[in-house]
Amino acid sequence: MPLPDELIEEVLTRLPPDDPTLLVRTALVCKGWCRLISSPGFRHRFPQFHRTPALLDYIYLHDSSQYFVPTSSFRLPHAIRSEWSVINARRGRVLVLNKIYSRRHVEKKLIVWDPTTDEQLRLPMPPFNYENNWNAALLCAAPGCNHSDCPWGPFLVVFVRADDREDGTVSASVYSSEQGAWREPISIIHHHGRCRVYPRGPNAHVRNATYFGWDTSVVEYDFGKQELSTIRLPYLCCRQHFVLMTAENSGLGFATVCLEKYNLCLWSRVAGLGGHATWAQQRVIELDKLRALSTPYVCTVGIDNDVGVVFIWAANDLFTINLRSNRVEEVGNVNFAFGVVPYTNFCTLGTQLIPSLLFLWL
Amino acid sequence: MASAGSGDEKAAAAAMITLISSDNEKFEVTEATATLSQTIRHMIEDGCTDGGVPLPNVTSKILARVIEYCKKHATAAAGEEGSSSSFSDAAFLEVDRAFLEELEEFDDAFLEVDRATLFDLILAANYLDIKGLLNLTCQKVADSVKGKTPEQIREMYNIVNDLTPEEEAEIRRETQWAFE
Repeated sequence: MPLPDELIEEVLTRLPPDDPTLLVRTALVCKGWCRLISSPGFRHRFPQFHRTPALLDYIYLHDSSQYFVPTSSFRLPHAIRSEWSVINARRGRVLVLNKIYSRRHVEKKLIVWDPTTDEQLRLPMPPFNYENNWNAALLCAAPGCNHSDCPWGPFLVVFVRADDREDGTVSASVYSSEQGAWREPISIIHHHGRCRVYPRGPNAHVRNATYFGWDTSVVEYDFGKQELSTIRLPYLCCRQHFVLMTAENSGLGFATVCLEKYNLCLWSRVAGLGGHATWAQQRVIELDKLRALSTPYVCTVGIDNDVGVVFIWAANDLFTINLRSNRVEEVGNVNFAFGVVPYTNFCTLGTQLIPSLLFLWL
Repeated sequence: MASAGSGDEKAAAAAMITLISSDNEKFEVTEATATLSQTIRHMIEDGCTDGGVPLPNVTSKILARVIEYCKKHATAAAGEEGSSSSFSDAAFLEVDRAFLEELEEFDDAFLEVDRATLFDLILAANYLDIKGLLNLTCQKVADSVKGKTPEQIREMYNIVNDLTPEEEAEIRRETQWAFE
């Protein structure tokens, strides 16, 4: 190609992030292209150019087994261990719970895992009792991070637990990979009736706070104030399946399926009368494709806020709906609605993924 | 009326820039068109445009195409500035949408060129630092390799495969997932 290397790089940077096999095929064209695509500079610029990572897989948990189901041409080079249970994933990194059974007790550990390189960082469980009523979210810790150097930048894990009683406490603690420790937990009493938080339940990071959903409410962990608080859901949406999200006004939002009309309803937190925050339904997306299935079992089961995709389960079929284009796609067949974790990443060909590329540098 | 008209003409004449291609052809363009190129914008700011701007890396054939692109997109940029400062009712948005569609059609037609011209346009866009044109032309080449095998890409762009069979086999072995 009669172009200097810098312009060939401009061209190759524009290859689509949702087709990682294309990167492999172009790397096989000649030594020069291979060197360009596997260089640290390209691996940095590719995510910077595209900004939004691609939805490569979703992780589906069923009967204590879990599967990476591809939604792209990418296939993970490293398998998930049978003793792991996926909790959450964020831009290429996966938070897993590792249970080791011995005669007397079960030892638990959290692991932050990069499935493309198999790197693992183990962290202790948080410093309070949590039993089964808990959830956790993985976050990138670098302020203003554009994730071009992720996944192995600093990270945070927010862990929240609740009492399943009428008036119980909600506690949260944050693990910082930079400090290598959990921060002092904070707790509040809630008055929302019996509440259940569960691993892989709704959670989202919006502005400077992380949110976890339960039956009737949302618990907010504010990083700036280091405070916990709770927000009630609109009465109509209580005890329905919902996913928490960044709303179109950049604040907190949630999405839920209205079964009567086969609509996906998008709600967001807005300033109401007297400046008090309240919920408002912002947009409705018609799910005509799902109406054709005429099943009463339709619900939201997952979301990826970066890509803007909601996962909807309808009678054993799994669909994604793109919130920007409203496009509905069938992505698989799953018979359990509560174990879907989307996996997004920029899959560039690093020297870790292809060690043999190193020799081409010589 | 006459005096106002002649004033406009004067201002327009003052804002004309002469571009000189490598084969010494001269092109008169407005400053708004020329400054889509950051390279030329900097030359104007430095007062280095008297007697024309020599562009020794761009032939007249390619410069004519680049100017065609810049003229169209300079009009679009002026349109955008106008719309942001005035009201934005539904009719106005409709006009904006129609204009954007027209611009997309223009870009699609603009890219209907042979490969040699496409590469020359990339080189010119890079040299003249015209971000929109560089993006458009590079994306066109990137789109052309979608769905192609390494052999097809090499054939399309006359690239010699200098990977040894051992190197190729090693990469294929380590990225087996991509060939399943």
